[in-house]
Amino acid sequence: MFIERGPKAGWIGLFAGLLFVVAGVASAAADGRPEGIKLELSPRVCTLASQDESCDTEVTAHWRAPNDESLCLLIVDQPQVKRCWENHSEGVYTVRLVFNRDLLVELRDPQLERVLASEAISVIREALRLRRKRRQPWDILS
Amino acid sequence: MSRSLRFIALATLFCSGSAWAEESSCSSPSPECAVVGRWEISASFGVGQRSNPVENRSNTPLYVIPRISYYGKRVFLENLDFGFTLHEDDRNTISVLATPGYDRAFFFRSDLQNIFVAGGTALPTGAFVPTQGQEFEVSERHTTYLVGPEWTFGYGWLAGQLNALREVTGRHEGYEVRGALSAPLLQSKGSLTASAGFTWKSAEVVRYYYGVRGLYEPGAAFNPFVKVRYSLPVSDRWSVNAFAQYERLGSGIAESPVITEDHVTTFFVGVAFRVY
Repeated sequence: MFIERGPKAGWIGLFAGLLFVVAGVASAAADGRPEGIKLELSPRVCTLASQDESCDTEVTAHWRAPNDESLCLLIVDQPQVKRCWENHSEGVYTVRLVFNRDLLVELRDPQLERVLASEAISVIREALRLRRKRRQPWDILS
Repeated sequence: MSRSLRFIALATLFCSGSAWAEESSCSSPSPECAVVGRWEISASFGVGQRSNPVENRSNTPLYVIPRISYYGKRVFLENLDFGFTLHEDDRNTISVLATPGYDRAFFFRSDLQNIFVAGGTALPTGAFVPTQGQEFEVSERHTTYLVGPEWTFGYGWLAGQLNALREVTGRHEGYEVRGALSAPLLQSKGSLTASAGFTWKSAEVVRYYYGVRGLYEPGAAFNPFVKVRYSLPVSDRWSVNAFAQYERLGSGIAESPVITEDHVTTFFVGVAFRVY
């Protein structure tokens, strides 16, 4: 079934869209977060086999911004990791880390007060697959 | 219907009842639950013995009893038993099992079944001299494997096992039916379990191991047994174990001229260590 919309419905939709965009920009401006900073992590997930205790891997963080920014990269629960840039529009940082739960990487302002962008590496534990052993009352040891 | 067949039929009927409590499924590794794809190796160290009912044969001492097992998604290996699981739910497991004929264990002291101890009875070899002084040749006994379906089940506190096996290594082509039930008598930190069961051996099996050509041609035999076992976990890897079993030999075996006792007793007391 085809429903033809009148010109009135189109104007309402356009108005709602504009309202949504304006609200988003106003929100970002209000908390002082620079727009468009993108942070990418590699790897995105770490999968632990049943016998593994923790992830031991090289983590690469790559960020980009439309304008020059001064910011610092931090990792939650890894206080030894801190890397800062001054007036850069892009940065890459690689570090070897050992972790056993989700790793949260943050870009903050130089005063480390505001979070400008954040991404996480998820730790996925391979579920142990179990099955019932044979019931062996006939067996002498069982 | 013979008495032994009636017993098998009754046991099957008894075990197939559904008025039992629901069995919980595996949620973590435990003595009852295996991690798929992981080998388990353990060994029991202690003192024990299995009696030998065969004339002029000494009892088998038990000092170290190793145990190796592996469970895949469908395949499994438990010491010398291996098989393929066709169906598994919380209560029932249906598999195709390959298992050695245990009777050879007393024939050769170095037989693997004297290392990986399991159920079964003894057999004689060589020349047999009856009391009259006439000598009869006793045939060579070889390693045999039996294959067939296995049904194991757990209904609440009761666990059971029923195997219907046929010899497939071309030695005697006989049949065995093995069945047993077990139930815990005491379950606190340690567990005391009682079991009762049977092995029914067809005439081909009994003749192959206990017959004497030209002198003794027995029929089928029905061996019932009772067993108690105690296990006390001491740590993640160590446990204290003890068991005692009494197996009555069926008349087809007990009346063989090479047999001097109508029963086999086995006992062991020791500690078990899980290596891996």
